[in-house]
Amino acid sequence: MALAWAVTAGLALGAAPATAAEIAGQPDISGVWAHAFPRPGQPVDPRLDVGPLPQPPLKPAYMAQWTALREKQKEADERGEPTAGMEARCLPDGMPSLMFAIYPLEILQTPGRVTVIEEAFSQTRRIYLGEAQGKVGDVEPGYYGHSVGRWEGDALVVDTLGIKESVPGYRDIPHSDEEHIIERIRLIAPDILEDQMTVEDPKVLDHPWSFRFVYRRMTGYHMLEYVCENNREVTDANGGTHLQLDGK
Amino acid sequence: MKTSGRGPLAAALAMAMGLALAAPALAHHSFAMYDNDHQLKLIGTVTHFQWTNPHVYIELENNDATAKVQHWTIECANPGILDRVGWKFNMIKPGDKLTVIVAPLRTGEPGALLKQVTLPDGRVFGNGAPAGKALIQ
Repeated sequence: MALAWAVTAGLALGAAPATAAEIAGQPDISGVWAHAFPRPGQPVDPRLDVGPLPQPPLKPAYMAQWTALREKQKEADERGEPTAGMEARCLPDGMPSLMFAIYPLEILQTPGRVTVIEEAFSQTRRIYLGEAQGKVGDVEPGYYGHSVGRWEGDALVVDTLGIKESVPGYRDIPHSDEEHIIERIRLIAPDILEDQMTVEDPKVLDHPWSFRFVYRRMTGYHMLEYVCENNREVTDANGGTHLQLDGK
Repeated sequence: MKTSGRGPLAAALAMAMGLALAAPALAHHSFAMYDNDHQLKLIGTVTHFQWTNPHVYIELENNDATAKVQHWTIECANPGILDRVGWKFNMIKPGDKLTVIVAPLRTGEPGALLKQVTLPDGRVFGNGAPAGKALIQ
Protein backbone atom coordinates (compact mmCIF):
# COMPACT_ATOMS: atom_id res chain seq x y z
CA MET A 1 0.00 0.00 0.00
CA ALA A 2 2.73 2.43 1.03
CA LEU A 3 4.62 1.53 -2.11
CA ALA A 4 1.52 2.21 -4.19
CA TRP A 5 1.17 5.66 -2.63
CA ALA A 6 4.84 6.40 -3.21
CA VAL A 7 4.59 5.35 -6.84
CA THR A 8 1.49 7.49 -7.33
CA ALA A 9 3.16 10.48 -5.70
CA GLY A 10 6.27 9.96 -7.83
CA LEU A 11 4.21 9.81 -10.99
CA ALA A 12 2.37 12.95 -10.02
CA LEU A 13 5.67 14.77 -9.46
CA GLY A 14 7.09 13.31 -12.65
CA ALA A 15 4.14 14.64 -14.64
CA ALA A 16 4.76 18.21 -13.55
CA PRO A 17 7.58 19.59 -15.74
CA ALA A 18 5.26 21.05 -18.38
CA THR A 19 5.48 24.77 -17.80
CA ALA A 20 4.39 28.08 -19.19
CA ALA A 21 7.64 28.05 -21.17
CA GLU A 22 6.46 24.93 -22.92
CA ILE A 23 3.25 26.70 -23.89
CA ALA A 24 5.28 29.67 -25.09
CA GLY A 25 6.80 27.41 -27.75
CA GLN A 26 3.42 26.28 -29.06
CA PRO A 27 1.35 28.04 -31.70
CA ASP A 28 -1.16 30.24 -29.87
CA ILE A 29 -4.64 29.00 -30.72
CA SER A 30 -6.15 30.29 -27.48
CA GLY A 31 -9.10 32.65 -27.55
CA VAL A 32 -12.75 32.64 -28.54
CA TRP A 33 -13.73 31.38 -31.97
CA ALA A 34 -16.96 31.45 -33.96
CA HIS A 35 -18.08 29.33 -36.87
CA ALA A 36 -17.08 31.32 -39.94
CA PHE A 37 -20.46 31.74 -41.62
CA PRO A 38 -20.28 33.83 -44.79
CA ARG A 39 -21.13 37.50 -44.28
CA PRO A 40 -23.92 38.78 -46.48
CA GLY A 41 -22.95 41.32 -49.07
CA GLN A 42 -19.27 40.59 -48.68
CA PRO A 43 -17.18 38.51 -51.05
CA VAL A 44 -16.64 35.01 -49.74
CA ASP A 45 -13.15 34.67 -48.31
CA PRO A 46 -11.95 31.41 -49.87
CA ARG A 47 -10.11 30.59 -46.64
CA LEU A 48 -13.45 30.50 -44.81
CA ASP A 49 -15.35 28.51 -47.44
CA VAL A 50 -15.49 24.86 -46.37
CA GLY A 51 -17.77 23.89 -49.25
CA PRO A 52 -20.47 21.22 -48.99
CA LEU A 53 -20.09 18.41 -46.48
CA PRO A 54 -18.56 15.42 -48.29
CA GLN A 55 -20.87 12.42 -48.43
CA PRO A 56 -19.97 10.01 -45.60
CA PRO A 57 -18.69 6.68 -47.00
CA LEU A 58 -21.12 4.62 -44.93
CA LYS A 59 -21.40 0.89 -45.42
CA PRO A 60 -24.72 0.01 -47.10
CA ALA A 61 -26.62 -1.02 -43.96
CA TYR A 62 -25.61 2.22 -42.16
CA MET A 63 -26.31 4.33 -45.22
CA ALA A 64 -29.83 2.84 -45.31
CA GLN A 65 -30.25 3.60 -41.59
CA TRP A 66 -29.05 7.19 -42.01
CA THR A 67 -31.17 7.81 -45.12
CA ALA A 68 -34.28 6.48 -43.34
CA LEU A 69 -33.63 8.72 -40.35
CA ARG A 70 -33.22 11.81 -42.51
CA GLU A 71 -36.42 10.95 -44.38
CA LYS A 72 -38.27 10.61 -41.07
CA GLN A 73 -36.91 13.99 -39.91
CA LYS A 74 -37.97 15.64 -43.17
CA GLU A 75 -41.50 14.25 -42.91
CA ALA A 76 -41.75 15.34 -39.26
CA ASP A 77 -40.63 18.87 -40.18
CA GLU A 78 -43.23 19.00 -42.96
CA ARG A 79 -45.92 18.00 -40.44
CA GLY A 80 -44.73 20.79 -38.13
CA GLU A 81 -43.72 18.27 -35.46
CA PRO A 82 -39.91 18.30 -35.68
CA THR A 83 -38.08 15.30 -34.28
CA ALA A 84 -36.54 16.15 -30.92
CA GLY A 85 -32.76 16.14 -31.26
CA MET A 86 -30.34 16.13 -28.35
CA GLU A 87 -30.59 19.88 -27.84
CA ALA A 88 -34.38 19.84 -27.68
CA ARG A 89 -34.02 17.44 -24.75
CA CYS A 90 -31.52 19.75 -23.03
CA LEU A 91 -28.64 17.39 -23.78
CA PRO A 92 -25.29 18.60 -25.14
CA ASP A 93 -24.43 17.59 -28.68
CA GLY A 94 -21.03 16.10 -27.77
CA MET A 95 -18.21 15.21 -30.18
CA PRO A 96 -17.82 16.02 -32.95
CA SER A 97 -20.95 18.18 -33.37
CA LEU A 98 -19.93 20.73 -30.74
CA MET A 99 -16.96 21.64 -32.94
CA PHE A 100 -19.43 22.96 -35.53
CA ALA A 101 -19.63 25.89 -33.10
CA ILE A 102 -23.06 27.31 -33.73
CA TYR A 103 -22.25 29.00 -30.41
CA PRO A 104 -18.73 30.27 -29.68
CA LEU A 105 -15.81 28.02 -28.74
CA GLU A 106 -13.18 29.07 -26.24
CA ILE A 107 -9.75 27.42 -26.40
CA LEU A 108 -7.44 27.48 -23.37
CA GLN A 109 -3.80 26.37 -23.47
CA THR A 110 -2.23 25.32 -20.18
CA PRO A 111 0.74 23.04 -19.48
CA GLY A 112 0.00 19.55 -20.78
CA ARG A 113 -3.52 20.43 -21.83
CA VAL A 114 -5.68 22.15 -24.40
CA THR A 115 -9.25 22.75 -23.28
CA VAL A 116 -12.14 23.53 -25.61
CA ILE A 117 -15.31 25.02 -24.15
CA GLU A 118 -18.45 25.41 -26.24
CA GLU A 119 -20.84 28.07 -25.00
CA ALA A 120 -23.98 25.96 -25.49
CA PHE A 121 -24.41 23.75 -22.44
CA SER A 122 -20.92 24.88 -21.27
CA GLN A 123 -19.56 21.77 -23.00
CA THR A 124 -15.94 21.02 -22.11
CA ARG A 125 -13.39 18.93 -24.01
CA ARG A 126 -10.07 18.19 -22.39
CA ILE A 127 -7.22 17.29 -24.74
CA TYR A 128 -4.28 15.74 -22.91
CA LEU A 129 -0.96 16.52 -24.59
CA GLY A 130 1.73 13.91 -24.88
CA GLU A 131 -0.36 11.07 -23.46
CA ALA A 132 -0.98 7.80 -25.24
CA GLN A 133 -4.50 6.94 -26.38
CA GLY A 134 -6.21 4.01 -24.71
CA LYS A 135 -7.88 1.08 -26.39
CA VAL A 136 -11.52 0.34 -27.14
CA GLY A 137 -12.95 -1.25 -24.02
CA ASP A 138 -10.52 0.56 -21.70
CA VAL A 139 -11.58 4.13 -22.44
CA GLU A 140 -14.75 5.04 -20.59
CA PRO A 141 -17.33 6.21 -23.15
CA GLY A 142 -18.66 9.75 -22.87
CA TYR A 143 -20.15 12.65 -24.80
CA TYR A 144 -16.72 14.05 -25.69
CA GLY A 145 -14.70 10.85 -25.66
CA HIS A 146 -11.09 10.72 -24.50
CA SER A 147 -8.81 13.09 -26.41
CA VAL A 148 -5.03 13.05 -26.58
CA GLY A 149 -2.96 15.47 -28.61
CA ARG A 150 0.49 16.45 -29.79
CA TRP A 151 1.90 19.31 -31.80
CA GLU A 152 3.11 18.44 -35.29
CA GLY A 153 4.67 21.64 -36.56
CA ASP A 154 1.95 24.27 -36.53
CA ALA A 155 -0.89 21.74 -36.12
CA LEU A 156 -2.39 20.32 -32.96
CA VAL A 157 -3.15 16.71 -33.85
CA VAL A 158 -5.85 15.22 -31.64
CA ASP A 159 -7.09 11.65 -31.44
CA THR A 160 -10.48 11.11 -29.80
CA LEU A 161 -11.84 7.69 -28.88
CA GLY A 162 -14.71 6.61 -26.67
CA ILE A 163 -17.65 8.69 -27.89
CA LYS A 164 -20.82 7.08 -26.57
CA GLU A 165 -22.74 5.27 -29.27
CA SER A 166 -25.91 6.95 -28.00
CA VAL A 167 -24.48 10.38 -28.89
CA PRO A 168 -25.58 11.14 -32.46
CA GLY A 169 -22.76 11.60 -34.93
CA TYR A 170 -22.30 14.83 -36.86
CA ARG A 171 -25.50 15.35 -38.89
CA ASP A 172 -26.79 12.16 -37.21
CA ILE A 173 -24.36 9.99 -39.14
CA PRO A 174 -24.05 6.60 -37.41
CA HIS A 175 -20.87 5.66 -35.56
CA SER A 176 -19.61 2.73 -33.51
CA ASP A 177 -17.54 2.15 -30.39
CA GLU A 178 -14.47 1.79 -32.63
CA GLU A 179 -14.72 5.34 -33.93
CA HIS A 180 -11.58 7.47 -33.78
CA ILE A 181 -11.73 11.13 -34.74
CA ILE A 182 -8.41 12.61 -35.80
CA GLU A 183 -8.27 16.40 -35.85
CA ARG A 184 -5.60 18.72 -37.19
CA ILE A 185 -6.23 22.11 -35.63
CA ARG A 186 -4.13 25.01 -36.90
CA LEU A 187 -4.15 28.71 -37.63
CA ILE A 188 -4.45 29.35 -41.36
CA ALA A 189 -4.27 33.13 -40.75
CA PRO A 190 -3.75 35.09 -37.54
CA ASP A 191 -7.50 35.24 -36.90
CA ILE A 192 -8.70 32.13 -38.74
CA LEU A 193 -8.55 28.67 -37.21
CA GLU A 194 -9.13 25.41 -39.09
CA ASP A 195 -10.14 22.02 -37.72
CA GLN A 196 -9.58 19.29 -40.28
CA MET A 197 -11.45 16.22 -39.05
CA THR A 198 -11.04 12.65 -40.19
CA VAL A 199 -13.42 10.03 -38.87
CA GLU A 200 -12.08 6.50 -38.82
CA ASP A 201 -14.68 3.87 -38.02
CA PRO A 202 -14.02 0.52 -39.73
CA LYS A 203 -17.31 -0.97 -38.48
CA VAL A 204 -19.43 1.75 -40.07
CA LEU A 205 -17.38 3.45 -42.78
CA ASP A 206 -15.83 1.96 -45.92
CA HIS A 207 -12.89 4.32 -45.55
CA PRO A 208 -11.99 7.37 -43.43
CA TRP A 209 -14.25 10.39 -43.90
CA SER A 210 -12.81 13.90 -43.79
CA PHE A 211 -14.40 17.30 -43.50
CA ARG A 212 -13.39 20.57 -41.94
CA PHE A 213 -14.60 23.47 -39.87
CA VAL A 214 -13.22 26.99 -40.04
CA TYR A 215 -13.54 29.59 -37.29
CA ARG A 216 -13.15 33.32 -37.06
CA ARG A 217 -11.62 34.91 -33.97
CA MET A 218 -14.07 36.80 -31.71
CA THR A 219 -11.84 39.47 -30.26
CA GLY A 220 -12.82 40.62 -26.77
CA TYR A 221 -15.81 38.27 -26.46
CA HIS A 222 -16.60 36.97 -22.97
CA MET A 223 -18.18 33.54 -22.96
CA LEU A 224 -21.62 33.31 -21.37
CA GLU A 225 -22.89 30.65 -19.02
CA TYR A 226 -25.47 28.23 -20.37
CA VAL A 227 -27.69 26.31 -17.98
CA CYS A 228 -30.60 24.53 -19.66
CA GLU A 229 -33.07 25.52 -16.93
CA ASN A 230 -36.25 26.35 -18.79
CA ASN A 231 -36.91 23.77 -21.46
CA ARG A 232 -40.43 24.29 -22.71
CA GLU A 233 -40.04 21.94 -25.64
CA VAL A 234 -42.01 18.83 -24.80
CA THR A 235 -41.11 15.61 -26.56
CA ASP A 236 -44.16 13.44 -27.29
CA ALA A 237 -44.35 9.63 -27.44
CA ASN A 238 -43.47 9.75 -31.16
CA GLY A 239 -40.38 11.86 -30.53
CA GLY A 240 -41.98 15.03 -31.90
CA THR A 241 -41.38 18.45 -30.34
CA HIS A 242 -44.13 20.73 -29.06
CA LEU A 243 -44.02 24.10 -27.34
CA GLN A 244 -45.35 24.05 -23.80
CA LEU A 245 -47.54 27.11 -23.41
CA ASP A 246 -47.29 28.93 -20.14
CA GLY A 247 -50.47 30.97 -20.33
CA LYS A 248 -49.47 33.37 -17.57
CA MET B 1 -38.87 53.11 -35.47
CA LYS B 2 -36.17 55.42 -34.22
CA THR B 3 -33.60 56.09 -36.85
CA SER B 4 -30.86 55.94 -34.22
CA GLY B 5 -31.47 52.21 -33.86
CA ARG B 6 -31.34 51.39 -37.53
CA GLY B 7 -27.62 51.07 -38.02
CA PRO B 8 -27.03 48.24 -35.58
CA LEU B 9 -30.40 46.74 -36.42
CA ALA B 10 -29.69 46.73 -40.11
CA ALA B 11 -26.35 45.11 -39.38
CA ALA B 12 -27.97 42.55 -37.08
CA LEU B 13 -30.66 41.69 -39.61
CA ALA B 14 -28.16 41.49 -42.41
CA MET B 15 -26.10 39.13 -40.28
CA ALA B 16 -29.23 37.16 -39.42
CA MET B 17 -30.11 36.75 -43.09
CA GLY B 18 -26.67 35.55 -43.97
CA LEU B 19 -26.55 33.11 -41.10
CA ALA B 20 -30.02 31.83 -41.90
CA LEU B 21 -28.86 30.87 -45.36
CA ALA B 22 -25.88 29.06 -43.96
CA ALA B 23 -27.50 27.25 -41.05
CA PRO B 24 -31.29 27.20 -41.17
CA ALA B 25 -32.00 24.53 -38.58
CA LEU B 26 -29.07 24.43 -36.23
CA ALA B 27 -30.53 25.99 -33.15
CA HIS B 28 -31.71 24.44 -29.92
CA HIS B 29 -34.40 22.69 -31.95
CA SER B 30 -35.93 22.84 -35.39
CA PHE B 31 -38.36 25.72 -35.93
CA ALA B 32 -40.53 23.61 -38.26
CA MET B 33 -43.40 23.77 -35.74
CA TYR B 34 -43.93 27.42 -36.71
CA ASP B 35 -45.71 28.70 -39.81
CA ASN B 36 -43.16 31.07 -41.27
CA ASP B 37 -45.36 31.92 -44.26
CA HIS B 38 -48.22 33.38 -42.23
CA GLN B 39 -46.50 35.86 -39.94
CA LEU B 40 -48.57 38.07 -37.66
CA LYS B 41 -48.11 41.52 -36.21
CA LEU B 42 -49.30 41.84 -32.60
CA ILE B 43 -49.42 44.71 -30.16
CA GLY B 44 -49.52 43.63 -26.56
CA THR B 45 -48.43 44.06 -22.99
CA VAL B 46 -45.76 41.88 -21.41
CA THR B 47 -46.95 39.79 -18.45
CA HIS B 48 -43.78 37.75 -18.01
CA PHE B 49 -40.26 37.80 -19.47
CA GLN B 50 -37.95 34.80 -19.00
CA TRP B 51 -34.28 35.40 -19.87
CA THR B 52 -33.29 31.74 -19.75
CA ASN B 53 -31.67 28.92 -21.66
CA PRO B 54 -32.42 27.09 -23.84
CA HIS B 55 -34.82 29.87 -24.91
CA VAL B 56 -36.00 33.28 -23.89
CA TYR B 57 -39.79 33.69 -23.61
CA ILE B 58 -42.11 36.67 -23.75
CA GLU B 59 -45.65 36.19 -22.41
CA LEU B 60 -47.78 38.81 -24.13
CA GLU B 61 -51.37 39.90 -23.46
CA ASN B 62 -53.01 41.06 -26.68
CA ASN B 63 -54.03 44.72 -26.51
CA ASP B 64 -56.80 44.07 -29.03
CA ALA B 65 -59.68 42.94 -26.80
CA THR B 66 -61.61 41.65 -29.81
CA ALA B 67 -58.79 39.39 -31.07
CA LYS B 68 -59.38 35.65 -31.06
CA VAL B 69 -56.18 34.99 -29.12
CA GLN B 70 -55.78 37.03 -25.95
CA HIS B 71 -52.51 35.62 -24.63
CA TRP B 72 -49.45 34.60 -26.61
CA THR B 73 -46.36 32.64 -25.55
CA ILE B 74 -43.57 33.94 -27.76
CA GLU B 75 -40.39 31.95 -28.13
CA CYS B 76 -37.14 33.83 -28.73
CA ALA B 77 -33.60 32.58 -29.34
CA ASN B 78 -31.30 32.12 -26.33
CA PRO B 79 -29.48 34.73 -24.25
CA GLY B 80 -26.18 34.19 -26.09
CA ILE B 81 -27.62 34.64 -29.59
CA LEU B 82 -29.71 37.61 -28.46
CA ASP B 83 -26.77 39.29 -26.71
CA ARG B 84 -24.83 39.03 -29.93
CA VAL B 85 -27.58 40.82 -31.89
CA GLY B 86 -27.75 43.61 -29.34
CA TRP B 87 -30.36 42.54 -26.78
CA LYS B 88 -29.86 43.05 -23.04
CA PHE B 89 -31.23 40.78 -20.33
CA ASN B 90 -33.37 43.52 -18.79
CA MET B 91 -34.55 45.39 -21.86
CA ILE B 92 -38.06 43.90 -21.65
CA LYS B 93 -40.13 44.08 -18.45
CA PRO B 94 -43.64 43.15 -17.39
CA GLY B 95 -45.95 46.00 -18.29
CA ASP B 96 -43.99 46.99 -21.42
CA LYS B 97 -46.09 47.54 -24.52
CA LEU B 98 -44.44 45.76 -27.45
CA THR B 99 -45.09 45.43 -31.14
CA VAL B 100 -43.97 42.04 -32.37
CA ILE B 101 -43.89 40.17 -35.63
CA VAL B 102 -44.16 36.44 -35.08
CA ALA B 103 -44.60 33.11 -36.88
CA PRO B 104 -47.48 31.30 -35.13
CA LEU B 105 -47.57 27.61 -34.27
CA ARG B 106 -48.94 25.50 -37.11
CA THR B 107 -51.30 23.80 -34.65
CA GLY B 108 -53.25 27.00 -34.07
CA GLU B 109 -52.29 27.08 -30.39
CA PRO B 110 -51.44 30.53 -28.98
CA GLY B 111 -47.68 30.18 -29.25
CA ALA B 112 -45.31 31.77 -31.74
CA LEU B 113 -41.70 32.31 -32.76
CA LEU B 114 -40.46 35.88 -32.57
CA LYS B 115 -39.18 37.49 -35.76
CA GLN B 116 -38.92 41.12 -34.69
CA VAL B 117 -39.75 43.16 -31.62
CA THR B 118 -40.23 46.92 -31.24
CA LEU B 119 -39.67 48.22 -27.70
CA PRO B 120 -41.61 51.06 -26.07
CA ASP B 121 -38.70 53.42 -26.89
CA GLY B 122 -38.89 52.52 -30.58
CA ARG B 123 -35.79 50.37 -30.80
CA VAL B 124 -36.21 47.36 -33.08
CA PHE B 125 -34.48 44.00 -32.63
CA GLY B 126 -34.40 40.77 -34.59
CA ASN B 127 -34.34 37.28 -33.05
CA GLY B 128 -30.95 36.13 -34.28
CA ALA B 129 -29.97 34.05 -37.25
CA PRO B 130 -31.61 30.64 -36.87
CA ALA B 131 -35.08 32.10 -36.19
CA GLY B 132 -35.05 34.00 -39.48
CA LYS B 133 -36.31 37.46 -40.27
CA ALA B 134 -39.65 39.26 -40.36
CA LEU B 135 -41.36 38.95 -43.73
CA ILE B 136 -43.98 41.59 -42.92
CA GLN B 137 -43.80 45.02 -41.27
